[in-house]
Amino acid sequence: MADASAAGAGGIRIANVGHTYRPPRGRPVTALEEVSLEVAENEFLALLGPSGCGKSTLLYLIGGFLPIESGGISVGGTPVAAPGPDRGVVFQHFALFPWKTVRENVLYGLEKQRLPKAEREARAAAFIEMVHLDGFEDSYPSQLSGGMKQRVAIARTLAMDPGTLLMDEPFGALDAQTRSLMHEELLAILKRTAKTVVFVTHDVQEAVLLADRVAVMTARPGRIKTVVDVADVGGAADAIRDPRFVEKVDFLWGQVRDEALAAQKGGAG
Amino acid sequence: MGMRFEQDGIGAAALRLLAGTGSVIALLAAWEVLARAGVVSEFLLPRFSDVVGRIWEDALGGVLFVQIGLTVWRAVLGFALAGLVGIVVGVVMARNRGANWFFDPIVSIGFPSPKIAFLPVFILWFGLDDSSKVLMTVFAAVFPVIVATAAGTEGVDKYLIWSARNAGASERDILHEIVLPAALPQIMTGLQVALPISLIITIVSEMVMGGEGLGGNMIQAGRFADSLGVFAGIVQIAIAGYVLIKGMEILRRRLLAWHQETQQISTF
Amino acid sequence: MTAALWRYTPLFLIAAAWEGAIRAGLMDSSLLPPFSEVMAALGRLVVDPELYRHAAASLMREVAGFGLAVIVGIALGIVMAWYVPVRILVNPLVRCIYPMPKSALIPVMIMWLGLGHLAKIGLIFLGCLLPVIVSAFNAARGVDTVLIWSAQAAGATRRQILTEIVLPASLPEILAGVRTSLALSFVLLVSSEFLMAREGLGYMIAFLGEGGVYDAMFAAVLLVTGIGFAADRAYLAVARRLLVWRE
Ligand SMILES: Nc1ncnc2c1ncn2[C@@H]1O[C@H](COP(=O)(O)OP(=O)(O)OP(=O)(O)O)[C@@H](O)[C@H]1O
Ligand SMILES: [Mg+2]
Repeated sequence: MADASAAGAGGIRIANVGHTYRPPRGRPVTALEEVSLEVAENEFLALLGPSGCGKSTLLYLIGGFLPIESGGISVGGTPVAAPGPDRGVVFQHFALFPWKTVRENVLYGLEKQRLPKAEREARAAAFIEMVHLDGFEDSYPSQLSGGMKQRVAIARTLAMDPGTLLMDEPFGALDAQTRSLMHEELLAILKRTAKTVVFVTHDVQEAVLLADRVAVMTARPGRIKTVVDVADVGGAADAIRDPRFVEKVDFLWGQVRDEALAAQKGGAG
Repeated sequence: MGMRFEQDGIGAAALRLLAGTGSVIALLAAWEVLARAGVVSEFLLPRFSDVVGRIWEDALGGVLFVQIGLTVWRAVLGFALAGLVGIVVGVVMARNRGANWFFDPIVSIGFPSPKIAFLPVFILWFGLDDSSKVLMTVFAAVFPVIVATAAGTEGVDKYLIWSARNAGASERDILHEIVLPAALPQIMTGLQVALPISLIITIVSEMVMGGEGLGGNMIQAGRFADSLGVFAGIVQIAIAGYVLIKGMEILRRRLLAWHQETQQISTF
Repeated sequence: MTAALWRYTPLFLIAAAWEGAIRAGLMDSSLLPPFSEVMAALGRLVVDPELYRHAAASLMREVAGFGLAVIVGIALGIVMAWYVPVRILVNPLVRCIYPMPKSALIPVMIMWLGLGHLAKIGLIFLGCLLPVIVSAFNAARGVDTVLIWSAQAAGATRRQILTEIVLPASLPEILAGVRTSLALSFVLLVSSEFLMAREGLGYMIAFLGEGGVYDAMFAAVLLVTGIGFAADRAYLAVARRLLVWRE
């Protein structure tokens, strides 16, 4: 994977971004404040932080779903203005279309990209197989378990082969075995077609295993607390026994724990 | 909740069907026996067999189908127009703030109030022919469709819309491919409320305005103390209503196979 | 205050357009009296004791018919949901008769009960009974089984489960069903008063229309619309009271 030292032309550049939610009823909530972060082209960045610190919000901003109110974000050198298929998102709550079958869900984006029919079908089948859902092509989301739905969401986004992947706890609903299989699949895909990835997770070990760098966010309002280079560890399945791996995981775990405690205190006060 | 044998297996389903048909037949038999026993006069409760005979006669003469057809045609036309207008207005209300502002007070007053009170107004404006019956029906049936469509359209999960945008869908695509399908369960519910209203209102309009159609016939029969005619009318209307409303339920199941039905719908 | 005013501004706009269209001769005033005249007629109507005679008759019929339907309907619906034999025998009957357009009962009610109060009360009662039964039945059947299990585990008797778990848990849905029936009851009330009455608000509208007193007729139509709306709002306020626990 690419050198993490500088954001290349194809990377993501986030400068002094803030975001405040203003619900029609209730008080405004400042989710993010002065967030600056660079992700190099084809780099894999994992994002850790306590619940409610604004990780999803940051992803939505990069995705172009929320208006950028302060600061700026550019992807591949162009400022983000609207959502687009160049940035594939795996949503935290899956966002599957309930009236479409598994196959139709995966096909939807491919149809929008006007791929030839034969290729669409082939790609959909391949990615459904990749997430081990062959046999469930004609099931509706309401007939699937949480983990299965999540795998459909992953297949749907990966099938579109976006240059940038924004994944919001994509493996959160999976059991440990499936999760580890998915890790291998994801890394294999990235090896075949390099992508820039921002990967939100609560699982420190997963972050170190998959990522080149790990960013830890503070409790709300979220900022970047530290960024740790973990490119030299992880990758292989037996990496978790590597003492350097364990050391990085321990360090990051402590960082996140501090923020989680701070969030609790802030929440109580 | 106690025993639930009627939910399990084919045997139980057959048993349930048997008990169901049995109780309907028992009701009709009780009607027949009660009428024959002379507990109440023939006028107040004619025999069921005589009512069936009357319907059979009308069917042979062909009158039956003309009368049922007219009533069903008016009700279904009014219902279809109400559905069309209601869905359009509902979607526009949900997506356009100005339209929402304009229609909201009209809809919130119109939805619960008895629109049938406007019947004399429709008669004054459109006379006694079909158009006033159909328009009265549209006016009464459109409100539940508007309310359901607006609520359904507004309530579409924003992540579904984001997800479609992310796939490169245009705003137009999103309306057709995401918003309307996502709102369909609620729209169908609105239509399922509107259908019985359409039937009720069409029949009242026919009764008040007179002329051809089941409603007019029944009132006429009542005036001439033709109780057989009145009961024949009830049976016919009940069957027509049953067929239409069951048809709508089947349509819902067809269209919403993907949807996990959580609640039964309360209609009239 | 200003928010409420802004909210109802479209109604004033419509009233103004109505008035303007007739003044400008765009609409035939014999088909639609100007808004101002309708309002003047409404003013005369509300000080006319006749109105209150009609309103009292309607109110009596509505309260008796609808009230009875609600009490009997909820009780029957829950019994049907709770006792398997009752359900197996009665449910098919209810399902079979339920879709019947309720206005078809009007001529039978005239035959059975004549032209007085009783026929209207009977009509409203019978017309609303089935919808109330069905909504109470569905609500009680839809109660989360886990709730019942946990009450059983806590040692509740069947009777306690019925009154302490099933009834409150199904109340929201029952109340929603009753609201639909409330609207239906007004439709049946006004319809039957069009067709068979010597008093009542529906009769008054029809009578004014036949007499060609259109400004008063429109006033009465608006009044009945307003009463239906107010009844619904009052019902919602009561229902919200009953459901405070639900937040
Ligand atoms: N639509 C919204 N309206 C108001 N506040 C919101 C909204 N969405 C999020 N928030 C608030 O913004 C903050 C950040 O939310 P966000 O979803 O980005 O957190 P997160 O880090 O993804 O949390 P989690 O790990 O639990 O998914 C939260 O405190 C939340 O309460
Ligand atoms: Mg999140």
